[in-house]
Amino acid sequence: MADSPTVSGRMIPPRPDLARMHAERAGRLKEELERAGLDALLLLGTSNVSYATGARSPGSDASRALIARPVALLTREDGPAHLFTPYPDGAPDGFPPDHLHDALYPELADEAHRLAGLLAEHLGAGARIGCDELTHALRAELAEWEVVPAQAALGAAKLCKTVDELACIRRAQSINEAAMADVAPHLRPGVRQCDLTARFLRRIHELGASANAIDPIWQPMPANLGAGPWTTHGGVAFPTAGSDRFLREGDVVWVDSGIVFEGYASDFGRTWLVGERPRPTSRQQAQFERWRDVMQVTLDRVEPGVTALELCRAATDANGGTRPWIEHFYLAHGVGTDSAEMPLIGTDLGDAFDEQMVLAPGMVLVMEPVIWDDGAAGYRAEDIYAVTDDGWAPLSDYPFDPYR
Amino acid sequence: MSAVEHIGTMALPEGGRVDFSRLRRERRQRLFEAMAGAGVDALVLGRPANVAFASGARQLWTAGTRPFGPACVLVASTGRVHLLSTWDEGVPAEIPHRDLIGLSWNPVVVLARLESIDGLDRASRVATDGWGPSSSDLLSALCPDAAVVDGSRLLHQARAVKSPDELTCLMTAAAVAEAALSAMSQALQPGVTERQLVGVCAQAVSSLGLTCPPTEGVAWISTDGARPRRVATDRAMAAGDLVALNPGAIFAGYEVTVGRTRVVGADATGTGAHRFDSLSALEVRAALDAVIAECRPGATGAQLMEAWERYGRSPLVEPLAWGLGLGVEPPVVGPGATGRAAHIRAGAVLAVQAWSYRDGSGGILEQDVIVVDPEGPTRLTRARPGLLVG
Repeated sequence: MADSPTVSGRMIPPRPDLARMHAERAGRLKEELERAGLDALLLLGTSNVSYATGARSPGSDASRALIARPVALLTREDGPAHLFTPYPDGAPDGFPPDHLHDALYPELADEAHRLAGLLAEHLGAGARIGCDELTHALRAELAEWEVVPAQAALGAAKLCKTVDELACIRRAQSINEAAMADVAPHLRPGVRQCDLTARFLRRIHELGASANAIDPIWQPMPANLGAGPWTTHGGVAFPTAGSDRFLREGDVVWVDSGIVFEGYASDFGRTWLVGERPRPTSRQQAQFERWRDVMQVTLDRVEPGVTALELCRAATDANGGTRPWIEHFYLAHGVGTDSAEMPLIGTDLGDAFDEQMVLAPGMVLVMEPVIWDDGAAGYRAEDIYAVTDDGWAPLSDYPFDPYR
Repeated sequence: MSAVEHIGTMALPEGGRVDFSRLRRERRQRLFEAMAGAGVDALVLGRPANVAFASGARQLWTAGTRPFGPACVLVASTGRVHLLSTWDEGVPAEIPHRDLIGLSWNPVVVLARLESIDGLDRASRVATDGWGPSSSDLLSALCPDAAVVDGSRLLHQARAVKSPDELTCLMTAAAVAEAALSAMSQALQPGVTERQLVGVCAQAVSSLGLTCPPTEGVAWISTDGARPRRVATDRAMAAGDLVALNPGAIFAGYEVTVGRTRVVGADATGTGAHRFDSLSALEVRAALDAVIAECRPGATGAQLMEAWERYGRSPLVEPLAWGLGLGVEPPVVGPGATGRAAHIRAGAVLAVQAWSYRDGSGGILEQDVIVVDPEGPTRLTRARPGLLVG
């Protein structure tokens, strides 16, 4: 790892230049539109609209986000993306006023018809439109065009981050970590999961988060798998939904949370122990040391040109031949405008998929090895790294207390 | 409306406030009845609220939308509810392990697991609650002979009219939303920012045992700016500023929000401007009450809009009314032509919102949640209407 890591020759700035970031993303989307032979992108997904336009919207329950949803339309010919939003105050500074429009409700037949009318102003019959999501009302209205998945174009644009995107992820993570540092002292016997959530949510907003992304997870893990929860694959159940559940002396708690800063997600993961001045047993400490070894061995392999499969093999070797991650998850995943995005590494997409995934500068890896030690629960933590021109650079920075 | 007033979130020795097993049983029955009424053999659900309604499962809350993909499948011929869940934590006992389907990143694996659902391949009419550019391929592989239709109408049919247990959940959410409003009002003072108020709201809701609030668009300085600003900023309030507060809470999936406007740290008898604000707040309240009065069984969205136009001074920039239950649901009335033809049903729950802005005076928000009882609307939210000086 170099002293001053660069991505495509550029240093990650201490603060993101949002205008530059939006411009570079728009440029990439246009390129991918061309490459995929699309005439337009019609985007309804919260994170995709944010990527295409820079638009902010308040963190919302899915039911609300599905009805009052920002919509983006990007055509090959017509300048920057059009934004239709219930939250015009969330449009970025300098957004062209003639591309900012009132909200559309694409759930509703009349509104879907209105959207189709707007599309017809920009696109001839038979044009190819890349879509991320549709509604039934839109499905009926888009019949005269060729509708194809937008995923290839979006995925290609998003896979390798610009330095400003990396700066956003680092900022999101640092807000998340600062809030966790304020929550950690409250992890005492008798505290409820929702009490920790209350403190966490208060702090992230005070610290400048754009939104919360997920109900924070404070999940006490069973000592052994036989104690449940039952799973379809017989492995560990995680992450399960929180409640007002009490945390008790000796609980091994897997913590996981994510917030959003300017459209970019954080991902925080640690194992905490409940008690008055908790200290890991020697067995628990050994789990952590195994986790740290797996992490180090895997990180040592991270550089452009290495395949995801090589990382999986290195991690598995370091864990004595057992894959050190959760059956239904991964060794590592990307993070960006979604909290889990490509590259996904070690999923049930299989070895062939991992082998064709070649690391490149600007990719982000949330490494989350898990050491399960049936009879004494296990250790899980996550840290975030950017793939740089000649290795990696950390985007997270949080201690492992009470493990040493 | 149910007479249950003993609201709380803890279990009671004599039995809970909400009989959740009865609530789930009634919901499932309504849904299968709506499927039968629509001639639908299988229902494929992807939206978290619909999945919660059908399965009763307590799901992990995440913000924003996800692309449509099957998360719950109901088959009319077997009466079974199949849930995509890798574990049984949070899954009610009436869904046995054999009806749980493990999640996968691999579309081939997902397809194979869905194909094992008994009766799905024989369905001739399948409804879904969402759509995506790849949905045709998936559904034609799963049920090759089926016509695939929009399930939103039958879901609305099942969900719109609330049972007494559902109303109790909504009243609990209302109580917590009001607690959040009170906490936010108490936090108002010069120097406090919009973001800090969003944090106060979330903290109040979670400290009372609930998880994340339904939205973070809950606080904005409304002294200037003709539209609600739902994206919080670091702007700090000054004495005399108007602040619109619109917190909400979700209890067992059921959402209530409440909206009020406050004056920051000013002397209640203060300047002429404040008196002017108080007067305009009374007008806004009168307009909202006029709209609420129209929320009777059989009323149309157009009638609500006419009431607003008769009393309201400002053009609508956000919806005037929308359904509530497991989150936001149809109908949505306003702005523009949206929802004019919608019909208000007895037993439905609606959020009704008034927002009015006047240059030099500011914006006033009042929002309540009502139940459409057979004899007329009943307010679920009890926060004192009108402008208060905080």
